[in-house]
Parts: sequence; C-alpha cells; structure tokens
Amino acid sequence: MTAVNLMLVIIVLSLLAYALLAGADFGGGGWDMLAGLGRDRAAAEDQRKLISASLGPVWEANHVWLIFVIVCTFSGFPSAFGDIATSLELPLALALVGIVLRGAAYVYRAYGEGASLPDRWWSRIFACASVLTPFMLGVSGGALATGKLRPGSSPLAPFQAPFTILAGLLAVVVTAFLAAVYLCYDASLHPDTQHLVDVFRRKAIYAAVASGAVVLVMLPFFYRDAPVVAARFTDRSLPFAAVSALCGFGSLLVLWKKKYVLARATAAIAVIGVLGGWAAAQYPDLLVGVYTAQDAAAAPSSLDTMLVAMCGGMLVVVPSFLYLLKVFTAPVIEEH
Amino acid sequence: MSGVDAARIETAFSLSFHILFAVFGVGMPWVLLYTEGRWLKTGDQTWYALTRKWARVTAVLFAIGAVSGTVLSFEFGLLWPTFMATYGGAIGLLFTMEAFAFFLEAIFMGLYLYGWKRLTPRAHWLTLWPIAVSGTLSTLFIVFANAWMNDPVGIGESKGKITADPWAVFSSSVGWSEVAHMFVAAMMCTGGAVAAVYAWGMLRGRRDRYHKLGLGVGLWTVLGLTPIQMFLGDWSARVVGATQPLKLAAMEGVYTTGSNVPLTILGYYDQSTHKIIGGIPIPDGLSLLMGFKTGTVIQGMDTATVADTPNSAVIHLAFDSMVGCGVLVFAVAGFAVATWFLRRRKGLTPRIPHTRFWLWSAIATGPASVIAMLGGWEVTEGGRQPWIVYNLMSVTDAATKSGGLAWSVVATIVIYVGLAAALLLILRKLATGAPPELDAGAGPDIPSQAPPAAEEALA
Repeated sequence: MTAVNLMLVIIVLSLLAYALLAGADFGGGGWDMLAGLGRDRAAAEDQRKLISASLGPVWEANHVWLIFVIVCTFSGFPSAFGDIATSLELPLALALVGIVLRGAAYVYRAYGEGASLPDRWWSRIFACASVLTPFMLGVSGGALATGKLRPGSSPLAPFQAPFTILAGLLAVVVTAFLAAVYLCYDASLHPDTQHLVDVFRRKAIYAAVASGAVVLVMLPFFYRDAPVVAARFTDRSLPFAAVSALCGFGSLLVLWKKKYVLARATAAIAVIGVLGGWAAAQYPDLLVGVYTAQDAAAAPSSLDTMLVAMCGGMLVVVPSFLYLLKVFTAPVIEEH
Repeated sequence: MSGVDAARIETAFSLSFHILFAVFGVGMPWVLLYTEGRWLKTGDQTWYALTRKWARVTAVLFAIGAVSGTVLSFEFGLLWPTFMATYGGAIGLLFTMEAFAFFLEAIFMGLYLYGWKRLTPRAHWLTLWPIAVSGTLSTLFIVFANAWMNDPVGIGESKGKITADPWAVFSSSVGWSEVAHMFVAAMMCTGGAVAAVYAWGMLRGRRDRYHKLGLGVGLWTVLGLTPIQMFLGDWSARVVGATQPLKLAAMEGVYTTGSNVPLTILGYYDQSTHKIIGGIPIPDGLSLLMGFKTGTVIQGMDTATVADTPNSAVIHLAFDSMVGCGVLVFAVAGFAVATWFLRRRKGLTPRIPHTRFWLWSAIATGPASVIAMLGGWEVTEGGRQPWIVYNLMSVTDAATKSGGLAWSVVATIVIYVGLAAALLLILRKLATGAPPELDAGAGPDIPSQAPPAAEEALA
C-alpha cells in the first residue's frame, strides 16, 4: 500500500472512531434537548444526569479524534486542506461554534454551580450545540461528495443541494441512535438508573427507524446531487450498504430482545457501513473534481516520517485510550 | 475589512484566548503532582483539599483550552489556506506529534478528573505524570512549529512539494530557545495566578493553613523560575539577533545600522522620524548585551524597506511590557530571597511575612506573568511581519481571499468574550476558600493529619 493510501486509511479510521465515540456524545446532547421539551421535569433531570455522566471522563479524549483527522488532513494533504476548508467555510465555522459551545456549556454546567448562568441555560446551549455540530459536519461531508465545491465558491454553496442537508440530518439522527443504544447499556449498570433502560431503548428504536427513513429519502438525491460519488458507490460500496442495512435491522431486533451489549456492536457496525461506504466511494477524490488524494499529498519523505511518528504515537495512545474506556465502562454518577 | 486583516485579527484573538488556557494546561499538572504528592506522603488533608480544588479549576480551564485549540486547527485552513497548502507538509510532523501529545493529555485528564474513586490513590497520582509530560511535549511541538515559521530551517523539495528535514527542525536554536522560554513562562503564569488567588484570599481575612500552603506553592513556583527565565530571555534575544535581525531592531526601535547602539527603555517609536520619543536610553546597552562590547554592530531597520519591516511602535511597546513585567517579578524574587535569609538569621517565622506589602506583591506576580507572556508572543509574531514564514511567504499571500470574514471575526470575539466572562464568574465561585470539611480546629501551622484512605470524607 502506498503512503498516500495508508494516510487515507488512518484518516478514515480516525473519522470512524470520532463518529462512534464523539458522535454518541453529541447524540447524548440531542437527547438532553428532547428530554427538556417534555413536561416531566424530574424525569428529564434523571436522563440528563445519566447523559452527563456518560460524557464526563471521555468526551475530551473522544473529541481529540476530530483534531487528529484535521491534523492528518492538513499534514498529509496540505494542498487540498486550504481549499476544502475555505469552500466549506460556513458549515465548518458553524460546527466550530457548536464544538466550542458544547464543550464550554458542559464544563460550565458540571463545575459552575450556577455561578454564571443558571444550569438550565447551559443545558440548553449544550443541547443545541450538540445537535448543531453533527449537522454541520454531516453537511460538510456531504458537500465534499457533491463535486460542486470550488475554491472561491459561495459560502452558501454547501447548503444548496438537498443531499447535503439530508446528510446533516442523517448525522444528527445517527448520533442520536448511537447515544441511545450506548445509554441503554450504561443505564443497566446501576440500580439507580435501571428505570431509564426502557426509556433509552424506546428512543434507540425510534432513532433507528428515523435513520433508516432519512437514508431512504436521501438515496435519490445522492444520485442526483453527487453523481460521481454515487456511481462509484454503486460499483464499490454495495457490500458496505448491505452490512449497514443488515446491522440496522439487526439493531432493532437485538434492542427488542434487550441485548444491549450486542446492540452496541450492531449499531456501531451499521454506522461503520455508512461512513465506510461513503469513504470507499469518495476514493480517490478528496474534493471531487478538484483534488485527488495523490495530487494533494505532501512530499513522500514528509508522509513517510509522519507515518512513522503515527505508528509510534498509536502504540502509546491506543492502549491508553482502551484503558480509559475500561475504567469508565460504567458511567461515573456523582462520584468525581 | 480585507481578508488578510480579518484573518490576522481573528488569529491574534483566537491565539491569545487559547494560550491563556493552554499555559494552565501545561503548568497545573506539574503543580498538582507536587500538592497531591505531598498529600500522599504526609496525609495532610490541607494538601488534599487544595488538590481537589485545583483539579476542578484545571478541568474547566483544560476543556476551554481544548475547544479553543480545535478552533485554531481549523483556522489554519479557514484563514491561511495558502500557507497550509505550501508548508503544511513541511511542518506536518510537528502537528502530528502534537496531536498525539494532546491525545494522551486528554485521555489521562479523564482518568485523573473522574478517577478519584476508581483508582488507588497512588495510581491516581501517577496519572498526572503522562498529563504533565504530554502537556509539556505539546508546548514543545507547537512552539517548534512556530519557531520554524520564524526560522525555516532544513527546507528541501521533493516532487514539487516543500519538505523540512526533521533533524534540522529539531536542532534549531530558535526552536529550543523559544520552547524553553515559553515552558518556563507557562509555569510562571500558573504559579503567579495561584499565588494571586491565595494572596487575595488572605488579604480578605482568610488566613488559614489552606491559604498559606496555596500561596506558598504558587509564589515559590513563580519566583523560583524568574532568574531562569531572565537567562532564557537573554538567550532568546541573542538567537533573534542572529536569525531575525529586523525583529531585534523593531524590539528596540533601532533604525540606523551601526555600533554603540543604546538600549531604550519605554518610549514610543515614531515611524516617520525613525526615533523613539520619550524613552530612556542606556548608552551602548544593546551593543553590550548582544556582543559584550560597545562596538558590536546592530542591524537596523534601514536595511529593509518599510513594507518589509515589522511595526516597531507596537513591537517595542510589547517588548518593554514583557521585560518590565519580568523585571518586576524578578525584583519581588530578589527581595523575597533577601527577606527570607534576613528573617531566618533572626529566627522569625514565617520567613516571608504575610503583610499587606507581600500579599500585594504576590498578587502582582499573576497579572505580570500573564502580561509578559502575551507581550512576548506579540513580539514573536508581530516581529516576524510581514512574513508568515520568515523571508519566504508573506502574510498577505498566505491569507484567505474570502471576503465574508468580518462576521466570523465578530462571532469569534462575541463568543469568546461571553465564555470568558462566564468563566470568571465560575472561577470566583470556586475560589471560596477551604472546604468546610477541612478541620476548622487545625491552627494555621498545624497540619490536620489523616491517612489518605480517609478521602471519602472529603470526596
């Protein structure tokens, strides 16, 4: 495998890690918002506590996967990075607003003791930002596939195809789906949260159905708005799509059967199928019609040293990360 | 607003905002290693209470540092696309390594902040090591990237793409002098801020052991590092003189190349007359500092066109703010050492009396360190102008051509100012003195003993 392809594989794997881990953190924020819309204040507070506890120790480490994707992209494919960023100026800037406000609102609520704004305001900001971020990142990903982005195109260009808006929506419902599935298991681990298992199970099922529906609506627009990538999708990505669909339905089944650990696996694989299918269809283009990965890549010697550094770095980071996940398998509820 | 102006304002603002948090991300883990270590060793609950409080503060500061750092990584592309397209591969290795260092920091920060009950006390203390080490390594890699922009060494070309030889990059004296100066600055900002908070508490009458220990840790950190920082600053200035003569000229407002160049304290550099108005010149000072003799020739700004010269009016002011604040802290340090020995000879305790004078001096070290740090960065960045990569690419060429950036500048400022205001309120709330659980009966100098296993009571 060439260094360029290896770099792409690392970027896609990091993106998957981001989607599966940080995605669920954002999805949790979405459920926080919906919980706030209901009438039952006490029940909403219960859900919020669990959601907040599930983020606590891991959200920052989960978030670093995104930084890693960005750094790999600008180091590995510098020529494309500037043009990708400027043509996606508006959605990326809004995603950043979401990232900043989500993180700040989370810690301000957790540690602020209401000193600045009341907790419920930070809750609202946290929830809205948690929905905004995946939506904007979804739009950005969709827009890369359309082939309509050009350096200097209008800042609104990424929003002008229904496909990209639907991609944003898909990101929102999928992150909500992941979060609900993960939270089922989290809730089952502690007697105080047992009663939330059914709540999140129901939410997970709704979100799974919603994700499937969005995908179905999206498909025709995909072929219309992103023809190049869609054609490659038909050629290469059908196995991904099949696995994803299978695991999507499988998730419904195992949720029905109340097998929450298995549900985590099927949910994750369903998401990997969608993102993996897109990545395979996007290859070898970074910005369709403008840059292929090969054109945009850094000099071979730069890529090689980066890859060596990455191997060394991953040897330290991956075991540490797994240790973090292991220590906090059960969410930390009021003990830190 | 043109693209380049907007890009510069937004970058300056986001960098300054981020760095205010980054310094604590670098410094606090080292301080916590000490305080939590003291608790493990002595079982003194005061150390435990301080550690818990600072861990909470660190949690908030680290989170804001992390999200504002994410903004910067996107801004490379959003604001400086041509810079990234040309040199992104060359400095990619540094950023890749920084990403890993940050990764470790975030992972172990999670373990540290939420692991009080899930890890043994010793394992919990040990998680601080990777945080502290990787925080320091983050500084190293990021500042090396910045140093490379100041002094782009090891440049090569391969298949039409620009490369930088990693060995050359890591053996650059610009890099090492900048890194060392910044790391010590981060520690001084941390120490100064801690000292300021506890000195303020004592001024308001909270003269308990908790405040005395907190003040001591902060104050000795900042004062102890000041002499080292003076030495490192001198080294940095020499390196700047050797590699970026125009930056040095702008720092001191030197227009005419020649020997016997004075060092000018304060004053305002007038761009039209090329003279410093209202400064106090020390004859031959700069020549002496740079070459140890009055005959040392200093390259002035007359060797370049105005367009290729940094704005000395700003740079000189920033430089003097940094040096002035540094000297102030240095004077406090010198006076503290003298007082310490004097009072030891007389057998007086505490060695540094907690009088209003000393408490106000301790408070001053906090803002002074932070102003010096920000002033230093203005010198580094402003002094490199008009270049983004010294002598190779101008800031104007590097910037985005997008016209719609004014809204993004405004949004950045509004959001960051709002978050900073909320943060100040939260920090004020957190700074409410010793927790009530801490044995109130313990006198100011008597440690309240309890074995580390008794943490549950305070957790």
